[in-house]
Amino acid sequence: MSEAALHIEGVGVRFGGLWALSDVSFAVERGAVLGLIGPNGSGKTTLMNVISGVYKPVTGEVRYGGRRIADVPTHQVCHLGIARTFQIVKPFASLNARENVAVGAMYGREGSKRSTRAAFERADELLEIVDLARVAYRRASDLTIPDRKRLEVAKALALDPEVLLLDEVMAGLNATEVEEALDLLRRVNQRGITLIVVEHLMKAIVSISTCIVVLAEGRKIAEGAPADVLASPEVIEAYLGSRWAKRQQQLEAIEAERRAVQQVRPPAPS
Amino acid sequence: MTIAATAAALRRAGLGGITGSPLAFAVVLVAMALLLAVPFAHNGYLNNVFRNILMYAAMAYGWNLIGGYTGYVSFGNVTFFGIGAYSAAVLSAHGIDNLAAGVALGAIASAAFAVVIGIPVLRLKGHYFGIATLGIALAVADIVANLDALGGTSGLAVHQVDDAHFTVYYYAMWLVALAAILGTYVIARSKLGYAFVAIRENEDAAAVLGIWATRYKVTAWAIGAMMAGAAGAIFAPANGFIDPSITFATDANVFPIAMTILGGIGTVAGPFIGAVILAGANELLQRYFVKAHTLFFGAMIVVIVLILPRGLVWLFGLRGGLRTWAKSLTTYKA
Repeated sequence: MSEAALHIEGVGVRFGGLWALSDVSFAVERGAVLGLIGPNGSGKTTLMNVISGVYKPVTGEVRYGGRRIADVPTHQVCHLGIARTFQIVKPFASLNARENVAVGAMYGREGSKRSTRAAFERADELLEIVDLARVAYRRASDLTIPDRKRLEVAKALALDPEVLLLDEVMAGLNATEVEEALDLLRRVNQRGITLIVVEHLMKAIVSISTCIVVLAEGRKIAEGAPADVLASPEVIEAYLGSRWAKRQQQLEAIEAERRAVQQVRPPAPS
Repeated sequence: MTIAATAAALRRAGLGGITGSPLAFAVVLVAMALLLAVPFAHNGYLNNVFRNILMYAAMAYGWNLIGGYTGYVSFGNVTFFGIGAYSAAVLSAHGIDNLAAGVALGAIASAAFAVVIGIPVLRLKGHYFGIATLGIALAVADIVANLDALGGTSGLAVHQVDDAHFTVYYYAMWLVALAAILGTYVIARSKLGYAFVAIRENEDAAAVLGIWATRYKVTAWAIGAMMAGAAGAIFAPANGFIDPSITFATDANVFPIAMTILGGIGTVAGPFIGAVILAGANELLQRYFVKAHTLFFGAMIVVIVLILPRGLVWLFGLRGGLRTWAKSLTTYKA
């Protein structure tokens, strides 16, 4: 379990004059669930794009299984064992749900071994797993948003990945659906698939992650166990603003003072 | 079995989606079988008219693979037709009058040209790809017109069989059209077809799913080129003479596109239905309106595309096709 699967080392990405990511480094252990969080525009999706080979980093590199992702063409990244979902879902609109998933099963890591029929059988299994069997023959363009998110997950799973990147698959789901999604992700993880989860829902990410990385303005500001990371002052500042962070510090100072005073003052006589 | 249950069963069998309406495909196969009877009329004119329909059908299927299934709108597919025609003509000039040899060389030469040109040009998307292919079509026509070895603007004579009705060319064209129809059907249902459609729907998402877009785009173009090249290789001896203005004609470039769109883009039945209706209508209009036929022809295309933007095949939709169509006329669609 301790063996690192994915190494992200000093990754920097620039869009024009703006560094969308600068010097981001961390490693993801095999079998882990890594939560990637940060405010809007902090570079989460950019990092997903770098890991999945869609963007080439200006500095640094992402390594997986001894290979630099930047050296691998986008269409071969999934053959290495890395699959992703898109935050803005990209279904093949004119194909039905089953065909959408089958395309992944045809061209993914095990795709060359599968016949068309075998790919459709695999698609049926996966649709069952993500609870889409009920709309298997409906065109992707006719699916609801939660179902399109499920379809993204099923398409990614059809690639038989070792590492699965999930970009906000729970956004827009209601509380029950989030629970179902979390349950699905846990089951996927139990099969030994490493997960990297980008999500805004703090509760969801804390409950599922074994480790959390926080990005703000393109930099990594914290990394560690969920509870520690969320208590860190930098993270509070990044999420809630410096005024809130200062007030939080003041409140803590007042609280500390109160405790100190209480300790000095002898307990009131009963 | 009720109609709804049959439809559901067919969809489960993989029909109806990627191939288009199975009913329309059945109609096409029946029509093809009927077309076998044309030469029994022993009428050279009829053979000529229907051979033209089959020729346009083969070219339309060729265009449908890249333009319809893969979503790359090519304005240069006439080049493949021309290469096929000149392949047969050059063979004929060297004393080889074997139709099969001409078709084989025409198909291979067209496919090779599609691969060589496709690798750089298929990197372009949308309008840029369209304009680049149009440029290639014009350039190739000009080059051929200036090559003395290919007869320049005065063209080449091609040896013809000694047959008043040219039945052998009719059946050869019929075979090429049938191969294009069945080939499209098989490809559409295979892994290849799904790669094409995935690229059409979203090339980035297709790449993430492991589809090497360049490879499949070039494949689609090259297979389509073979269909047009084979049709050209039969046209050359059937016509007895070719020159750049015939083999690289604007009509031969635009008709297959119009036919595919009219019949149903990205379906197995669409190009054939479009070819029969457009080529047939063109023939009739030409007969009865010697001067104004292009006017009526153009108007007909405009009206059909406005009323049936998804093509005539859509009328074959198993699930309330007509009802949905009637509804779509009253609701505005961009």
